[in-house]
This record gives sequence, structure tokens and C-alpha cells, in this order.
Amino acid sequence: MARAKIKRGSTNVDMTAMCDVAFLLLTFFILAAKFKPSEAIEVVTPASVSNKHAPQKDYFNVTISKDNRVFIDMDDAMKGDVLDELGKERGIQFSDADKKGFQQATFVGVPLSQLTSFLNLTPEQLGKMTLPGIPYDSTNNQVLAWISAAVQASQGKKANFLIKGDNASKYTTFKAVIDAFKKNEIYKYNLVTNAADVPEGSELYKKNLSGQMSKE
Amino acid sequence: MAEMEVKGTSHKKGPGVKKSKKQSTRVDLTPMVDLGFLLITFFIFTTTMAQPTSMNLNMPKDTDKPDENTKVKESGSLTLMLGKGNVIYYYYGADPATMQTTGYKDVRKIILDKKKKTPAEDFFVIIKPDKDATYKNAVDLLDEMNINDVSRYAMVDPSPDEYSMIQQTEVAGGVK
Repeated sequence: MARAKIKRGSTNVDMTAMCDVAFLLLTFFILAAKFKPSEAIEVVTPASVSNKHAPQKDYFNVTISKDNRVFIDMDDAMKGDVLDELGKERGIQFSDADKKGFQQATFVGVPLSQLTSFLNLTPEQLGKMTLPGIPYDSTNNQVLAWISAAVQASQGKKANFLIKGDNASKYTTFKAVIDAFKKNEIYKYNLVTNAADVPEGSELYKKNLSGQMSKE
Repeated sequence: MAEMEVKGTSHKKGPGVKKSKKQSTRVDLTPMVDLGFLLITFFIFTTTMAQPTSMNLNMPKDTDKPDENTKVKESGSLTLMLGKGNVIYYYYGADPATMQTTGYKDVRKIILDKKKKTPAEDFFVIIKPDKDATYKNAVDLLDEMNINDVSRYAMVDPSPDEYSMIQQTEVAGGVK
């Protein structure tokens, strides 16, 4: 008797195409990711329930390290103007090399008198050094000068003033920074924090549940 | 997963010819795909998690004129003073002598209790971080204001009297 032969299809799926897609995506994500510049100052920020992302553009950031040193950094687009303003204010002539170095520097962590030598440091040297930070005491408040330069440079433009403090830094340092901002008539700041969940059952939690937007 | 060898045409060879077994050249790609997707997942997670959030802080303009200062009703005010070693000293109204001690975990209850007891328009929280408080302490309390939906609060320095009181308590309690 002739039996109908059932052709058995292979259960094997060709994985090559899927593998290609996976690695293509992987390559894309790795290349598209912007690498965080290695931070010379390690800052552990406190947590908050705020879910707003910290602004990444037009920012002027004041960092407070855990041993209360103050550093600043800013958006690359602002750097040129800020340095010009600072030079005008303090009567310092910055050379072209300084300006170029400043454009490449990820942050500033020394008093103005050491700025030129600071800008000449290589990243390796920077990593080894303990930077003094920018002075903010009342007799020589250079944080104030930087902020004022940033305010002048960002006139008519949108600027976000960020404060990034370490958990262990003292409140007095934070207050000194706030005072420096206040003297420049800046009253709105963004405090950089880590995202944390809203505690269940709290007022904000209920408010968010009821769909109302919290007043920010 | 097992590979299926494509069977079919096995040519008949002469009696003296040995049959050489053909090895499959196909490689199982499943683990590789797994790895690929695992890495993708990892990268996606790490990139989004790293983005910091920010908390808005609006400070009032400093003013010397007394009539421009915010008036606070004594009955509705709660003063929280932040001291050394993550301790909070709090009192109701205007008398610092009635100061009590608490910690960051229990402060929410105190704020909510006071909030319930007072009319919404009178409720006012005064945060006074002293010289020994850390930045984290201040941010934690500001965050607490958000969590408890307190719309009226201020951050000011403690008066010298209050500061000395805190210090005395700290010395007595042995807070380092």
C-alpha cells in the first residue's frame, strides 16, 4: 500500500538574522550614548521625589564637594561669553590659549590666580591633584564673580542655574552659594538630586493619584 | 537546540570507497542572540537611570523692610531646626524653649499632625538649618515639604539664641 509521505518541516529557525538585528541595535545604542565625562569630583547627591529631569542645556552648575569645596561648570555654548565677561569684570586679559583650554575644560576648580596653569593640566594630572576649589569667603568671593559673569553672559537668554551638592557637604557652604546667587538677583535654582519614589500614602502620593499636577 | 542534518541524497559509492561523514557547518546562534539582547537591555537601563533629576527651589528676595517680610501666624507655625548628627529640633509657635527632638524618619508625622490641626491658610513651616546641618538635611526637608504638600514654608537661619539652645542640647545629649 502506498502511504502518503508527510514532509516534515525543520523546527529550526535561522537565528542569523535575529542575531544581526540584536547586535546592530547594540552597536547603535553604544555609539549613540553620550559618555559621561569622567568626574574629577565625586558627588553623591541627595534623593528627592521630584521627577523633573535636570536641564542639560544652557546650564550653569555649581558643585559642592563633600569637603565643602566649590566647583563650577557650564554648557559649552556659554563658555566663551562667560570668560569674556569675567575678564572684563576682573580686568584680566585671557590669551587665546586660555580660551581654548577653557572651552575644553569640563569644570573649573581653582582660584582665578591659578586658572591659566589649571587649564594647561592634562586630564591625567587633574585626576591626581587635589584641587583647592573656588574661594567663596566674604573677602574673596570668586564664586560670586563667576556667577555674575554667567548672568551677564546669559542676558536675554534662557539660563538654568544648577546646584549640585554632596550629601555630606555643610549647609553653610550651600548657603554661601545661594547668597552669591541672590546677590546677582537670581532666585530660581535647580537642585540636582537622585530620583526617589513618592512614599505610598503620603499627601503627594494621593495628589498624584487623583491626577492633579503638583505645583512646581 | 539540535541541528538537523539535511539528509537525502546519499550517493551510492563503490564498494571500496569509504563513506566520509560530513560535519554540519551550522552554528547554533541562540546563545549569541540572547547575549546581544541582554547587553541591549543593560545599556538601555543604565543610560536612563543615570539621568539626574532636579528639584526647583525659589528663594525670596532679601529685604530689610519689616513690612515686606512674610507674616506668620504664631498659632499656625511649626519651626524645624536641623542640628548636628541628623537630629531635628522642633517647636510650635514662637517659643523655642518648648523645643522637642525628633529624627528624619518621624518628622513627617509631626508635619502632618500640625497640618491637620491648623487651618490651611495659617499653616507655615519654618526650616532653620544650623551651622552643623548638612546639605542633605536641608534637601531632605525641602523634599518633605513636597511630599506632604506644604505650600507655605521658608528656609531661614536660626537666631543666636536658638543656636545656643541647640548646642546646649547637643552637648547634654552627647551628639557628635
